Amino acid sequence: MKKFDEQSTLSLYEKGLITENQFEEVKAYRSLNIFSVNAELKFFLYLSVLLFTSGIGILIYENIDTIGHIAILSILLLIIAVCFYYCFKNSKGFQKEETTFEHPVLEYLVLLANILTCIFIGYLQFQYKPFGEHYGLATLVPTVVSFFCAYYFDNKSVLIIAVTGLAAYIGLSVTPQDLLNGNDFYASESLSYSAVMLGVLLIVWTIYSNRISLKTHFSLIFLTFALHIISIAVISNLLHHYILIWLIFAGVLIGSTFYFYKVSYEFKAMSIYVFMIVYGYVGINILIFRIFENVDFSNIWELFIFLLPAYFIGSIIMFIKLIKNFHKEIAE
Amino acid sequence: MIVYDKQILNNTALVDEANTLYKGGFISKEQKKFIKKELPVFKSQDNILVRIGFFLLGSLLFGSICGAISVLGISAEHIFEEICCYIFAAVGFVGAELSAKQNFHNHGLDDAFILGALLNIGFAIGITTEGYEMVIAFFVAAGALFMFLRYLHLLSMLMFCLAVTAFLFYGMFEFGYIGKTILPFTAMIFAAVFYFITKKFINNLKESYYYNGLLLANSFCLVLFYLSCNYLVVRELSEELLGTEVEPGKDIPFAYFFYGFTFIVPIVYLVQALKVKDRIMLWISFLAIAFSIYTVRFYYAVLPIEVALTLGGLVLFAVAYFSIKRLKEKESGLTFKPDRINHSDAILNAEALLVASTFGMKPEVKPQASPMEFGGGGFSGGGSDGSF
Repeated sequence: MKKFDEQSTLSLYEKGLITENQFEEVKAYRSLNIFSVNAELKFFLYLSVLLFTSGIGILIYENIDTIGHIAILSILLLIIAVCFYYCFKNSKGFQKEETTFEHPVLEYLVLLANILTCIFIGYLQFQYKPFGEHYGLATLVPTVVSFFCAYYFDNKSVLIIAVTGLAAYIGLSVTPQDLLNGNDFYASESLSYSAVMLGVLLIVWTIYSNRISLKTHFSLIFLTFALHIISIAVISNLLHHYILIWLIFAGVLIGSTFYFYKVSYEFKAMSIYVFMIVYGYVGINILIFRIFENVDFSNIWELFIFLLPAYFIGSIIMFIKLIKNFHKEIAE
Repeated sequence: MIVYDKQILNNTALVDEANTLYKGGFISKEQKKFIKKELPVFKSQDNILVRIGFFLLGSLLFGSICGAISVLGISAEHIFEEICCYIFAAVGFVGAELSAKQNFHNHGLDDAFILGALLNIGFAIGITTEGYEMVIAFFVAAGALFMFLRYLHLLSMLMFCLAVTAFLFYGMFEFGYIGKTILPFTAMIFAAVFYFITKKFINNLKESYYYNGLLLANSFCLVLFYLSCNYLVVRELSEELLGTEVEPGKDIPFAYFFYGFTFIVPIVYLVQALKVKDRIMLWISFLAIAFSIYTVRFYYAVLPIEVALTLGGLVLFAVAYFSIKRLKEKESGLTFKPDRINHSDAILNAEALLVASTFGMKPEVKPQASPMEFGGGGFSGGGSDGSF
């Protein structure tokens, strides 16, 4: 590949599109022959945290009645304490902007310490019930700890855990695989209302933190969660049999689509834009279906089959236009 | 053979290069924008989400056209069932040609038509030959090669590789028992030969158009080579194909060879990748190492899973930590410093999704089911050990 890249640089230079200085600089850099394993090694660190915590989790689960509880708890506590000690010692303290550690390993130590803390509290609750029957509290405490770690150490992975914890507190499971199944929302309506409320809460928090410029780089994570939670809750309720309820949710969908349309332009976030369009499109199709569901079309169904290609061509043209607009807008 | 305008293809390469230079901080944003304006390129989608979206839409369009044709053809009685897939495949070809003429390349829409055409070729031949796998594989391979050569379509190249491999396998089945017995060795030799052939092609390449496709084929050969004589694959396949039961205390023929192969090849890949600075081979070697460990665990559970995971985590952490320590200050060659030109951040972005799906907390509103589930997904991580 290198051969062709160098050719391209050369021909950019020959066409007068880059200056001689730039060309020389690129050439000099290429001749260093850099082969960076930065991403790979970081991924290994991440994977090691994943393996280790999974192992510990199973270890505790399997031996919950055999090894002394106190022994397990104290070992866990010791590891957590050591991890946090290193993290606090090397952190620059709380900052409102984006910060990074000097050493990349520490970022993963924070993640490790945080997950272990969650396991620790979960185990404590299971075995000794310090929160009594208030299971919600047992979720809320790790959530609060996670939020603290996320903001203090500026760690996005921990923030994601914190948001899922917050959702779990109100009774929602927002891990990607559960959101895709969307089973929760069929089960109960009130859960859908809570989901929409949670989404709104996340949006409000994002707006507020942007105003006081607190960790603005977290916004995208909050907004992504908000978009998916709201949209999936709304779409699964569009199939509700009471007309009033699905009309309400249709209204919510229109509102959220409009909001995320604006916000994706503001943040230049392609991922939000795309999912906004997809959810909007699915929602509109369901609405069309609902409006016509009581009309009897059995005599002219062949017409529909011939109309379908035209409908899809129309949709494709519309999407191409939308995407093109977005590209033009964010390139500004 | 290539349907696209050569000028635009060259422009695409230049704009891509300008993009990488901009990301590396070598040229300014204005310069990049100017270059983009100067050189017209294809209508393509770099964002994978958008591309998937258009692929789905394109598939819906393709499906709806086929549906409309079926409504017309259904009155033509029996003969239509025989030839419908040929017609659908033709629709795919026409669609691919039209979208290429409109300068769609790697856009998602063209993907839908190209892959749809290949799929329908497979069905059509399958219906005509009543499911003769070898012939199906042959025609799909031919179609995929055509698609790659004409539309420079990478996924078609992958289809081609898979179809050729399938052709080889079904071809060996024709020889009956002997063919099935020597299958691992045939596949291994086949992969090795094609690896060096594609390598030679790449080195002699004058223009970059076919480069990516050949690279894909080259990497595919590496994977096939490893899998062909992996102990797990050989043993399970021989049980499947030959119906042999491996009794306790006994082993498959040449077991030592397969065991040695399973362990030596990933290490050879790893060393070679670091030596020639080949990132793709590096990743293949990582995956191969993981699969080799899985192979051993599949037959001999030396350690209980939780201990294995914990220790594995510790070992991996140590490896990563010391590698970082050693490579941190190096300025050239193999280093930990991020490369200004070749980023591989994509995996780091995927991390976020992984965190959410493995460690996301779950509500414990149903305590009667299992109160263990809350407070960290560590408990649920056990099921996924196969994928490491």
